[in-house]
Amino acid sequence: MTKLIYLGCLSNSRYQETCKNAIKIIKFLDPSYTVLEDVPCCGALSYHIGSDIELKDHVENVNSWFDLNDISQIVTTCAGCYNYLTKYYAQFLGQDFKVKVLHFLQFLAEPENLSKLDLKHSGKKLKVSYHDACHLRNAVIPIIEEPRRILNSIENVELKEMESIKTNSICCGAGGGVYSIFKENSDYNSKLIFDQLNRGKLLLTACPFCFTALTRIREENQIKKPVIKFEDFILNIMEGVDPLSE
Amino acid sequence: MNESGKGLYEKVKNKIEASQEEGTLEKQFGDFWKFACVIKTRQHDLRYLYDDTSREFVDKNRDNLIEMREEFVKNMDAYVEKCINIMRKKNFTVHYAKTNEQAQKIFMEELGDARIIYKSKSNEAKDIGIIDVLKENGISIKETDLGDVLVQLFDYKLPSFQVGPGAHFTEEEIAKKIKEVYGVELEPKAQAIVNYFRSTYRKELLNDVKISLTSANAISAEDGTIVLGENEGNISLITRATDKHIVVCGITKIVPTIFDAILVTKLQSRINNVSFNYISLISGPSNTSDIQGTSVQGMYGAKEVVVILVDDWRTKAVNENLIYADFLKCIGCKSCIYPCTASRAFGNIYASKYGLGATAIIRDYIHNGIEAAVNDGLFLCTGCENCYHWCPVSINCGEILKNMKKEATEKGLAPPYLEQYKEKIFKDKNPFL
Repeated sequence: MTKLIYLGCLSNSRYQETCKNAIKIIKFLDPSYTVLEDVPCCGALSYHIGSDIELKDHVENVNSWFDLNDISQIVTTCAGCYNYLTKYYAQFLGQDFKVKVLHFLQFLAEPENLSKLDLKHSGKKLKVSYHDACHLRNAVIPIIEEPRRILNSIENVELKEMESIKTNSICCGAGGGVYSIFKENSDYNSKLIFDQLNRGKLLLTACPFCFTALTRIREENQIKKPVIKFEDFILNIMEGVDPLSE
Repeated sequence: MNESGKGLYEKVKNKIEASQEEGTLEKQFGDFWKFACVIKTRQHDLRYLYDDTSREFVDKNRDNLIEMREEFVKNMDAYVEKCINIMRKKNFTVHYAKTNEQAQKIFMEELGDARIIYKSKSNEAKDIGIIDVLKENGISIKETDLGDVLVQLFDYKLPSFQVGPGAHFTEEEIAKKIKEVYGVELEPKAQAIVNYFRSTYRKELLNDVKISLTSANAISAEDGTIVLGENEGNISLITRATDKHIVVCGITKIVPTIFDAILVTKLQSRINNVSFNYISLISGPSNTSDIQGTSVQGMYGAKEVVVILVDDWRTKAVNENLIYADFLKCIGCKSCIYPCTASRAFGNIYASKYGLGATAIIRDYIHNGIEAAVNDGLFLCTGCENCYHWCPVSINCGEILKNMKKEATEKGLAPPYLEQYKEKIFKDKNPFL
């Protein structure tokens, strides 16, 4: 029985520092979690562009890999992987999909993990805002309250909600492969998200796709407030580093 | 198949480029639309008219609405039959058209020798192809909703917002256009423009209408009542001061009871934050029994009310469980476009001849196939499902579009870059390498 940290292709390819941070946090909370080499892509994007036959084939291949490696449980740091693993794997494989899938935020928000983390921010009270990624809020088991529970548990951190939140949040424009072909979507929508960041000093996201789009828009528009991946933020707090100093 | 994925991708890309250039029609509409969407989504949570917000109103009625629509779809045949029977008893002239083509033929027969038709905004008439047939036959269509009147005045060909079709024209532009077309100098103010149309067009609507065309917001199967909501009074005028009022709509406008029909209409008003200052309940042609109790049709209102109920794709969608079967629940409120990521960003590029947004693209797909849908910007949808969270009957347009994308991919119509992604996923196990 292996408990796997499923990092997701995008994070693994582009955000290795974040991956290291996530692994540190997860292993701190449960050392039995491991990272494996050659983990296959969940295939998220292909749900928009693959045929049912191709998808079924891919899902079965990935599931065989899970079987082969005796994977019983996954914590994934990718919002897209969480959404697709919980939705389409069950849909295509039914009972044959036996892996328990948790998102990083779900895992963190478990009461015993929150108390073990016992997070405190030293220094001036930090006001943060959280962007609800579509992949998390739209999932079969939506992840909406977990990030709020985590943030509310951190001493000296205050969650300042934006205007469009939870199931009503603005999509960053990076879903469905749109980002790679029609960036104009995120030009407008990601900017709208920043426009709502009134009271928060920084913007948190738990989705690598949102992070990619938001980071580009932040740079292009010379926005001062940073966008930070949830994993990086948590590790900063754990290690007593001011997230704004990075 | 005439186009390749690459060709269609470039077409959409060109439209997007045009929308970024100052002075283009696309840019003008896009700027208006972005603003409108922000206002409309904000209004959803305001308490400026009623005790509850529109969101609260929708949430309160959602379960009831879903149940009502699912019940209708499950027993569509029975409700249609019931509705037709009661309507005939109430002296409506009712036609049931199996296909759009049949409906168009029936419509032309009902039109007789008439060469002019007065219409109120009707998306259903577009869906059923009535507008195209009227144009082909040289019948003059006179719009009566001010927004549509303006669209017609400007000869605006791009898709516009179904609920407020001319809302993107400025007062200055309208005044200038009126000067150009009618030679009348007006102060560029909304009130002056309205006064102008009231003083010129209203007389015509009261005296000259022989045949009028509307859709229906909803039709009650229990008593055959047609519900029509509006705020200008144009529908009231052209459905009363006419010889023949023709109602054309899909059978999915039918709901079980009159209370359901009112609820649907009220919801359409609340969710769009538009006032329906008039709601008409039409239960048959104008009639009097004041002379010796003899029932005579055609007193002051319409002498005849003709209803053309069209099936076309609808029964087939249920029976064959087509990817858009869920769309049958749609009550046509059109509110799904306000929170839509793609619609906000791309305005009338993410649109079809049926209007803006996902539902208009789904309609184009149903009638004109997948290539038309890709050309309408199908691949601009991020799948964020805001439409689903917003929808009062929980239709997941995002899911329908995802299935349409699959079909497009299978037929080689997807943007080439996405195809490469797929290859990488399946072969290299990582699309981002």
